[in-house]
Amino acid sequence: MTSLTTGLKGRSELGVALLLGAAGVLVFLDANGLATPYSKSDPVGPKTVPFIVAGMLVVCAVLLALNVLRGGKGEAEGGEDVDLTHPADWKTVLPLAGAFILNILLIDWAGWVISGTVLFWGSVLALGSRRYVRDGLISVALSLLTFYGFYLGLGIALPAGLLEGIL
Amino acid sequence: MDVWSSLMDGFATALTPMNFLYAVIGVVLGTAVGVLPGLGPAMTVALLLPVTYALEPTSAFIMFAGIYYGGMYGGSTTSILLNTPGESSSVVTAIEGNKMAKAGRAAQALATAAIGSFVAGTIGTALLAVCAPIVVKFAVSLGAPSYFAIMVLALLAVTAVLGSSRLRGFASLGLGLAIGLVGMDSVTGQRRLTFGQPLLADGLDIVVVAVAIFAVGEALWVAAHLRRTPLHAIPVGQPWMGKSDWKRSWKPWLRGTAFGFPFGALPAGGAEIPTFLSYVTEKRLSKHPEEFGKGAIEGVAGPEAANNAAAAGTLTPMLALGLPTNATAAVMLAAFTSYGIQPGPQLFESQGPLVWALIASLFIGNTLLLLINLPLAPMWAKLLQLPRPYLYAGILFFATLGAYSVNLQAFDLVILLVLGALGFMMRRFGLPVLPLILGVILGPRIEGQLRKTLQLSAGDPAGLLGEPIAVGIYVIIGLILLWPFAYKMFRRNRPERRPLIPANSGAADYSD
Amino acid sequence: MTVVVGYVPTPEGEAALTQAIAEARKSNSTLVLINSSKGEAAVDNRFAQEGDIQDIGQRLASQGIEYLIKRPVRGHDAAAEVLDAAEEHNADLIVIGLRRRTPVGKLIMGSTSQRILLEADCPVLAVKAG
Repeated sequence: MTSLTTGLKGRSELGVALLLGAAGVLVFLDANGLATPYSKSDPVGPKTVPFIVAGMLVVCAVLLALNVLRGGKGEAEGGEDVDLTHPADWKTVLPLAGAFILNILLIDWAGWVISGTVLFWGSVLALGSRRYVRDGLISVALSLLTFYGFYLGLGIALPAGLLEGIL
Repeated sequence: MDVWSSLMDGFATALTPMNFLYAVIGVVLGTAVGVLPGLGPAMTVALLLPVTYALEPTSAFIMFAGIYYGGMYGGSTTSILLNTPGESSSVVTAIEGNKMAKAGRAAQALATAAIGSFVAGTIGTALLAVCAPIVVKFAVSLGAPSYFAIMVLALLAVTAVLGSSRLRGFASLGLGLAIGLVGMDSVTGQRRLTFGQPLLADGLDIVVVAVAIFAVGEALWVAAHLRRTPLHAIPVGQPWMGKSDWKRSWKPWLRGTAFGFPFGALPAGGAEIPTFLSYVTEKRLSKHPEEFGKGAIEGVAGPEAANNAAAAGTLTPMLALGLPTNATAAVMLAAFTSYGIQPGPQLFESQGPLVWALIASLFIGNTLLLLINLPLAPMWAKLLQLPRPYLYAGILFFATLGAYSVNLQAFDLVILLVLGALGFMMRRFGLPVLPLILGVILGPRIEGQLRKTLQLSAGDPAGLLGEPIAVGIYVIIGLILLWPFAYKMFRRNRPERRPLIPANSGAADYSD
Repeated sequence: MTVVVGYVPTPEGEAALTQAIAEARKSNSTLVLINSSKGEAAVDNRFAQEGDIQDIGQRLASQGIEYLIKRPVRGHDAAAEVLDAAEEHNADLIVIGLRRRTPVGKLIMGSTSQRILLEADCPVLAVKAG
């Protein structure tokens, strides 16, 4: 039973090893496709460093997999506000990511003011705040302020999107 | 140009109303960020990177330096008043500081921390002003082979020495180098790792990468593991110290500075070791050793000074050689890059006024920090009651805003999300973040030096060893890489020594 | 029979607890102690620390009182938590501590105590410190 559970526990970190290995292979394949006309002024060529990096990634992937299978474990990073005794709180993180993605989808089309509001409001909601109206107002205010602030202060024109004529 | 006149010119620049304002903004922001749990100076500088596109480089760096130093001050306030410390370098301060606070001596603890930080910061910055030009003079005589070797050494030192797992450090470095490869090869102009996406042809903007890894990744990670149970902050009035406190503090301040600066300046140093060393030394030298563990003021004075001196020390290789040794320095280096400024020994030559204004502003910032931290500490402590949903939502908001404003491309936000997820994953599985960011920043430069070296030697790999310094550094690199193996073999050959404390004394829990 | 007390580590909270203990002994009731926090901020000085809670538990046990200590941290404000607990445990009495407020304070702050007083289904005993 214990070997099964340890195998399962280690599995998630094997994902990291997999990622590293995949990255290494990716870098290698991509570099392979490069043309390398031999030139006196550049004997190293564009392929060398990618090959080295690819090799490094693959070696690390293998060693990491071995390390994990033998029971090694990466220590999750602690911090002042971090409580590692519970597993990751996906109920918070996924909505946060969702708000982020919504923003990405909306920003060019609906404009920063709307997408920023969605982003901030969605994030505070995801993080547990219950004051819906107040949060909504703060979100709109922030988006508007930064919209004008960036334009007037930094000369950066954020997209106005749907509110094109009004702003 | 001699140091003194350059420094005076620097002061002239740093004291202009505009730059002074930025210094104030920097130190206030830095202290706030240092106090608030979950945030840090590296993240803050990363979030402000996009703003640098609109600011003068001098002003921006003055602000960043203020944030850097301010973070140290704010961090000690939190570690003394809360019963859990912040950054790892504040852990030692918290040992005695929190005990002092619990015994009703929070005011003295805060005072000795703030004044000690000021003393150490001032001395440290002075040492920086003196040492950096010396290092630069030496470094300018180096050629491409030695440069290459030094950069490799710096990368290795950070990867292999700091952090608990060298393997994961290397993995992180590999990922960072791979990210750095994305884009056009500088010499042949061919596209690497762009997968046919035209938007990737210019490579991944270092600003986006930094914001993703330091801000988004961190925010997501903390959000996933938010400490739900609130802590108690020990209430405190204005910090002050009595005469005997002063008497007991001043020598630890100086000793702490002596520990902190060299370690901060070494590529593999960091701030944890000198603070720990300072603590142990103060305990040994103290006339009141029995107080240690219950609130000894030397245990706060020394480590705090070491902390701040190390921060100043870290800036020495950063400014003189372009080698960052902690996260904040790395992000500041990214700022240099985004301004198109090449960090390295020629920085003092090409951007002399900027660098000296920066150093002058460090002195100013240090003084400002003392002024705002000493009387206002109770106010800073109130900041701890800020509701965190607003904090972390704000981080994501400004991260998004910043990353978008770099190129006004939604695609950058996709990168932000992907790399943010990567940052999350790295924190989950214990892959240190610093090697990655160093790989992204230094990777292209290292490649450039490598190609230059071999170009000079017309393809002969022996060109790598062309300069004596390079050879020496490779020897050091070899030692660093082989050290753990040698150590293991050494231990195997010697018989196991009996533990110095008998197992049943309860003093320590020994496990093999 | 249940007595619910809203506790905070302040003089008012302590007074409320003392009174609640007296009430519980008088009527041989179970004491339900609520000490909650919204959990929004990193620091909340009104949320009792573990050591204090243990001391209280011992104090209650030594006086022979049956008790239940609840420390919810789920984003609700204190009044809501106390009222929730009163409803859940069919409280016969709620005991809360009252802070002396300046005239301006009375105007600005929508107080926890006011909400409990107005919305509770059972009698509420408001105690002042000292």
